[in-house]
Amino acid sequence: MIYPPDTFVDVAALERFGVSTGVFTLMNSKWGWPIAESIHFTGLCLLMASVGMFDLRMLGVARGVRMSALHRMVPVGVAGWLMCLATGALFFLTAPGQYLYNPAWQTKMALMAVAGVNMVAFYLTTARSVGAMGPDDKAPVAARVIAAVSLACWLGVIVGGRLITFFRPPYHWCLWC
Amino acid sequence: MMDLFAAIEQTPLSIWVREDFYAFFWILIVHALGMAFLVGGGICVCLRVLGLASGARLERFRGFFPVMWAGLALSVGSGVLLFAGYPAKALTNPVFAVKVVCLIAAGLLMREIARRLFPLALRGEALPEWSRMLGAVTLALWIAAVTAGKFLPYTHHMLLAS
Repeated sequence: MIYPPDTFVDVAALERFGVSTGVFTLMNSKWGWPIAESIHFTGLCLLMASVGMFDLRMLGVARGVRMSALHRMVPVGVAGWLMCLATGALFFLTAPGQYLYNPAWQTKMALMAVAGVNMVAFYLTTARSVGAMGPDDKAPVAARVIAAVSLACWLGVIVGGRLITFFRPPYHWCLWC
Repeated sequence: MMDLFAAIEQTPLSIWVREDFYAFFWILIVHALGMAFLVGGGICVCLRVLGLASGARLERFRGFFPVMWAGLALSVGSGVLLFAGYPAKALTNPVFAVKVVCLIAAGLLMREIARRLFPLALRGEALPEWSRMLGAVTLALWIAAVTAGKFLPYTHHMLLAS
C-alpha cells in the first residue's frame, strides 16, 4: 500500500492486529462484510429513530410529543451507536490505511467528536429545562441550537460514511504526518 | 426484458448515472439521507407502538410523518436514478425484490398504525393486544429493507444487459 510516512500512527501494527485477531479473515469471508454493513446501517437507523427524532422534536417537529417521554428512546440510540462502533471497528481493522488517511472518514470522526461535545453541553445546560417542558411548549433557544448542531453532525456522519469509498488510496489526507 | 433493460441503459440519463463521477456521489448521499429520515421516523413510531416512551401521546407522533414523507421523496427520487443506471442489475436480483416488498409492506403497515391506533390513542383508549405485533412486524420490515439494500452490491448476477 502507498501510505504517507506516518510517525504518529503505526498502520502496519494495526493491520497486523486485524489479521492476528481474525477480523481480516472474518471480513473477507463471503458474507462478513455485508452482514457487518447491515448491522452498521441498522444501528444508524436506530440512532436516527431516537436521537434524530428527539432533535427534530426539540426543533419544533411533532409538537404534542412530551420531550421527557421521548427521551426514553435515547437508550435505543445508544444501542444503535454501539452497533455502529463495533462494526465500524471491524471495517477499520480490516484495512486501517483505507480509513485513517481518508478525508471522508476523518470528517466523519471529527463530526462524531463534535456531536459528543454537543451532547455533553446539552446535559450540562438545557436538558433539565427541556425535561420540564409541557408537551406543547417551545424549547428554549439554547436547546434548539444544540438540536440543530446534533442533527447536522449526525447527518454529516452519515454522508461522510457514505463517501468513504470515493476516497480510496493512493488518495490520502494526513494532517499529522 | 433484456431488450428493455438494454434500451434503458442507452438513455442519456442512464449513461449519466453510470459515467459521471459526481452523479453517484450525490445520488448515494441523497439515498442515505432519505433512508435516515424515512426509516428513522418509521422505527421511532414503531418503538412507541411497542410501548417505549409511553408517556408521550401516540397520535401526536403523526407530527413525524412529514419527516418520513420527505425521506421517502429523497429515497425514491435517488432510487429511481440508481435504477435508471443499472436496471438489469436491480431486476435480475431477487434481493432487490425483497427490499421493495419490505418497504411497501412497511409503508402499508405504517398506514394501518395511523388509521387504527392513532384514533384509539386520541380517545384515550388502551391499545389492543395485536398492536404490539403490528409494531414489531413493521419494525422488522424496516430493518429487513435496510439489510436487503446493503446486500444488493454483493448479490447481483448481472451488471448490464447491453
